[in-house]
Amino acid sequence: MKKVIVKLIGGGKLQMVRISLLAITAGLIFGAIVLLLIGKNPLAAYGNLLQGSGLLPKHSYAGRQNMFTDFMSFLDALTPMIFASLAVSVAMKAGLFNIGVSGMMLAAGFSAAITVGYSDLPAVIAKPLAIIIGMLAGALIGALTGWLKYRFNINEVVSSIMLNYILMYVITFFINTYYVNAVSRQSNPINDEARLTLTNVQAFDLKFNIPLAFPLAIISAVLIWFIMNRTTIGFEIKAVGLSRNAARYVGIGISKNIVLSMTISGALAGLAGITYFCGFYASIQPGVVPGMGFNAIAVALLGSCDPIGCIFSSFLITIISKGAIYMSSQQGVEIEIADLVMAIILIFAACAEFLKMYSERLSTELDDAKKKEVRSS
Amino acid sequence: MIETIIIDGLAFTLPMFIMAIGGIFSEKSGITNLALEGMQGFGAFFGALAAVLLMQNMDAASQIPYYVSFAAAMIGGILFSFVHIALCIKFKANQVISGVVVNILAAALTSFLTKRLNESLFSQPSNKFVLGTSARFSVPVLFDIPVVGAIFTNIYPFEIMIIIIAVIMWYVMYRTPFGMHLRACGDNPHAADAAGINVNRVRTIAIMISGGLSAIAGMSFAYSISANFSPDIYLGYGYLSIAAFIFGNWSILPTLGACLIFGFARSGGQALIQQLGMPSAFNDLVRILPYVLTLFLLIFFSRHNNAPRALGEIYDKGKR
Repeated sequence: MKKVIVKLIGGGKLQMVRISLLAITAGLIFGAIVLLLIGKNPLAAYGNLLQGSGLLPKHSYAGRQNMFTDFMSFLDALTPMIFASLAVSVAMKAGLFNIGVSGMMLAAGFSAAITVGYSDLPAVIAKPLAIIIGMLAGALIGALTGWLKYRFNINEVVSSIMLNYILMYVITFFINTYYVNAVSRQSNPINDEARLTLTNVQAFDLKFNIPLAFPLAIISAVLIWFIMNRTTIGFEIKAVGLSRNAARYVGIGISKNIVLSMTISGALAGLAGITYFCGFYASIQPGVVPGMGFNAIAVALLGSCDPIGCIFSSFLITIISKGAIYMSSQQGVEIEIADLVMAIILIFAACAEFLKMYSERLSTELDDAKKKEVRSS
Repeated sequence: MIETIIIDGLAFTLPMFIMAIGGIFSEKSGITNLALEGMQGFGAFFGALAAVLLMQNMDAASQIPYYVSFAAAMIGGILFSFVHIALCIKFKANQVISGVVVNILAAALTSFLTKRLNESLFSQPSNKFVLGTSARFSVPVLFDIPVVGAIFTNIYPFEIMIIIIAVIMWYVMYRTPFGMHLRACGDNPHAADAAGINVNRVRTIAIMISGGLSAIAGMSFAYSISANFSPDIYLGYGYLSIAAFIFGNWSILPTLGACLIFGFARSGGQALIQQLGMPSAFNDLVRILPYVLTLFLLIFFSRHNNAPRALGEIYDKGKR
């Protein structure tokens, strides 16, 4: 048993990857048990997850659609998730817990929608402008949270949750008063010129969506990796995150780095909001805080807060959240199962440090036992 | 108008207060507790389930489901608090992350189970357990006093329950050896350990208390504001109560003051909207009042507060 655990978790570079995979496996096993209990076939259900994400072929498709259509729509959902998880990880590197990603996403999506989304600007100007406005809106709220943290010593978790609700209610008020669509009860859809997803593109006898910002998400991840690992800015942010006192002792400005990391985090959350509300969707549902901001915490933890790791963990989690829609329609199960699986994954990811220590302890125990055997023989 | 503000304000304040007391117990023992939100939701789910099951087999006027539901909610809250206990104490996870995880789990689990149970038990697709609001009563004679009498008018029975429990909890915290041990664990766990206190045991009990008390709050919200149990119960009241006890400097009486301010800000805003006859969309605008107030108050009070010294630190016996 001990050997199995040590083998599974192991040491070295890939340890965190192994722990993440272990967490995902545990979540999926738990989900399978739940599915079995309600009398469904877990393998078929998990197959549906992949089919819904365009990674496995479905049995039948509507006209002019195939696996590629589903896959492009999957990438469309993946884009905001990568941004959101990057936002959480950057803050986490500075020892801050950004639970306000949801509110920042709303603010970014809303401010871009009312300034650019309903205007007559041509696409060439509207799309970049929407991105910039969204980033600014997110960055401002991030900076505010950071400033409240260092200036007034307000716990960033509490302040960002307060901001989440304040933003949600204010935006709900404005949508319901000025921008509501009488049919959908959501905000009016934004113009196609400003939307970051090209919808229903026809080519090769197929119809599909093109998420324009997807390359930007990958570039951002690489850029964040570069900043964090190869520049002084990243070094200082990480130093503040690891030990505030040590950082202060060597003359690194704590307040500057807290605000800076929250601003970067906010800008990334803004990008997530833009690609979510003005890309994947074209309107905002009032009265709801987007769950993606919270799921992003799970994704970032799974990716052990590494930008490149975030791409992979976003990929895996988006399979679950995106495929769940198809799964629930095919199997007739509650869509909430996906959230449940995600929560279990999160629990295991939260225990990563413990699993690491536990595996180290076990491996030293095994080594000791081996040495004893050698000695006695 | 002042009467309605007082009546509605108290009905909101007291559940917040009991939840904040739970938070104080947990944090005074050294465990950061953001899980209040999840524990109140899960507790309310458990209690509402018990009430709905009982209501089927009893006549509508019976008060038994009401009281049973609160007991069931406490059991549910305590059971669910073991997730936080396991993560924080056994698996030494980061306590902030653990709290958020517990909240996400609670929301996912309760909304899944509510849908599932509604379908299998009552064969109706619904994501809520309908409870209705609880009966209210007024204290005779006293409610006749102008203005102040509002305190004794239209009281929910749970308000009385909460006041009694709050007094007991105050006594436990400040007048019993256990309370002293608990506070010692939050300030200097190593010294407490050296004095023969089992730090992990005290902290476990503290989190269980916070689970039970949060559940009372959740059940109260389910029986008053929302009149049902649905995933809409996760409205951030747990986080509001955290803000309340931070503002109350981790002691019980000042926290009551903070909760009163939140409660009256909320009911006052609503009364204002009604009085001025504004469109209902303005309700959303008024709902931000407690949250904005929290931020402002924290700006003024966060600098001078003294959190328990070992708050959020994982207790490691070998550490010096």
